[in-house]
Amino acid sequence: MKDYLHLNGQILYWLLIGPWKKQPFKVGHILNQLVRMGVEALPMVALTAFSIGLTLAMQGAHELQRMGAALYVPNLVSVSLLRELGPLLIAIIVIGRSGSAITAELGTMKVSEEIEALDVMAINPIRFLIVPRFVAMLIMLPVLTVFGNYIGMVGGWTICHFALDMSTAAYVMRAIEAAKLGDLYSGLTKSVVFAWLVVTIASYAGLKVEGGAEGVGMATTHSVVYSILAILVANAMLTALFFFL
Amino acid sequence: MIANSPIPVDVPLTSPEPGPVIEVRDLVKTFGQRTVLKGISFKVLRGETMVIMGGSGCGKSTVLRHLIGSMKPDAGSIRIFGEEITGMEQREMDRIRCRFGVLFQSGALLQSLTVGENVALPIQEHSRVDDKIVELIIKMKLELVGLTGFEDLKPAEISGGMKKRVALARALALDPELLFSDEPTSGLDPVMTAVVDKLTQDLTQKLGMTAVVVTHDMTSAFRIGTRMIMLGTGPRQGQIIAEGTPQEIMHHPDPMLQQFIKGEADGPIPLRLSKGDYLKRLIGEARQ
Repeated sequence: MKDYLHLNGQILYWLLIGPWKKQPFKVGHILNQLVRMGVEALPMVALTAFSIGLTLAMQGAHELQRMGAALYVPNLVSVSLLRELGPLLIAIIVIGRSGSAITAELGTMKVSEEIEALDVMAINPIRFLIVPRFVAMLIMLPVLTVFGNYIGMVGGWTICHFALDMSTAAYVMRAIEAAKLGDLYSGLTKSVVFAWLVVTIASYAGLKVEGGAEGVGMATTHSVVYSILAILVANAMLTALFFFL
Repeated sequence: MIANSPIPVDVPLTSPEPGPVIEVRDLVKTFGQRTVLKGISFKVLRGETMVIMGGSGCGKSTVLRHLIGSMKPDAGSIRIFGEEITGMEQREMDRIRCRFGVLFQSGALLQSLTVGENVALPIQEHSRVDDKIVELIIKMKLELVGLTGFEDLKPAEISGGMKKRVALARALALDPELLFSDEPTSGLDPVMTAVVDKLTQDLTQKLGMTAVVVTHDMTSAFRIGTRMIMLGTGPRQGQIIAEGTPQEIMHHPDPMLQQFIKGEADGPIPLRLSKGDYLKRLIGEARQ
């Protein structure tokens, strides 16, 4: 835990103080990571979010129709997506896709002496390798979450429009009416916290790899498992915080 | 050293410090119950090529890792350019590191970067030279190791020997005063081994660079070394069993050293148990 907190401190140092000491991180590396973590993840996030929206609308319609409240399906979809399912499920997709990649990449670099070589060339590995991934993740997870929320809403609309004969205008109006701006902000706050947890846990696991391919494999598994556990616990804590505030 | 060499940001342009470039005193390192280095001491003078030899597991690479600041000793002192590095802060160590280059045994090239980008990395990180000059330096360094025209390839697209040469070009990118090489010729063909040896000789003899080379390759060691040390194995693990010029080492009376130089299977170096001992041990284990 102490080492993990130390890594967090070092990331913040190289992000906020390093550039003022003439040791900036590379913007080009951040752009590269933005593309890898964000742009290339769009199809997968879209498919996941669309499926969630579709499923939520179908399950909601099934129960609400029995009470004659099928009109409330858009409300259910928008609130569930914005507050809970959007940030959580998209974070899980990003853990599987980018978190595991960060651990495997850093772990492989560790065992092939690349990280030691950077150190010996007086190039700080945290500044050179971790900070660009950290910044990219903190930008891209919230962006993917917003994108996923919209696609999820489209999934919900598909069921409401084609199965429940609801007009597009009615769907959009009810969805907007149900969702408050606070729901969007709480979801985005969660996604920023999740991004922080995912990238720091993945980086820590990668930098701690010992041994060869087996070590990289074990670290990647640990990274994914601990990241999912961490975001589930953080989600419960944040939901409680927003609930009592 | 070279007229248009990049200037590392934090390195003062001072004349070389008097005294040895490297001074190691009573270096001790223990891993668990096993003491790998038992108080070894040696000096490397400016312009020398010091070759560190020894059998597998004798602690050669451990010595090298201490010299480049990747490991901290349990006891002892290491002075590089006259400065004690064992208790040095990271920033101070980085200032020293800008003055030396390291060639790793595996090459340790960044796989995500091209050959050219790998060589450019230390220059871009530690100097403020124009991109066009960086390109020129990359071409010059790659030409030095016989890899002109390979700038745009990724390390995965070149052979092991070529990777080693790119790593050497990267180690020389900032025109270091001191070069550390871990098995610089392993994986190279005889011609390229001779080229790398000639390059090391030129750098030390013509440009005054100091080199510390860890190697198993005896031909290469005697070709480039101006002074040599041999680390012991078995009961003499972690000790320097011989030190001297190549001629002194060649005629040294120590049987372990002679076995190593001649590459003989039988001798004082306990490479393995005899067949009889091994069978006795196996039968003993089976009875238990």
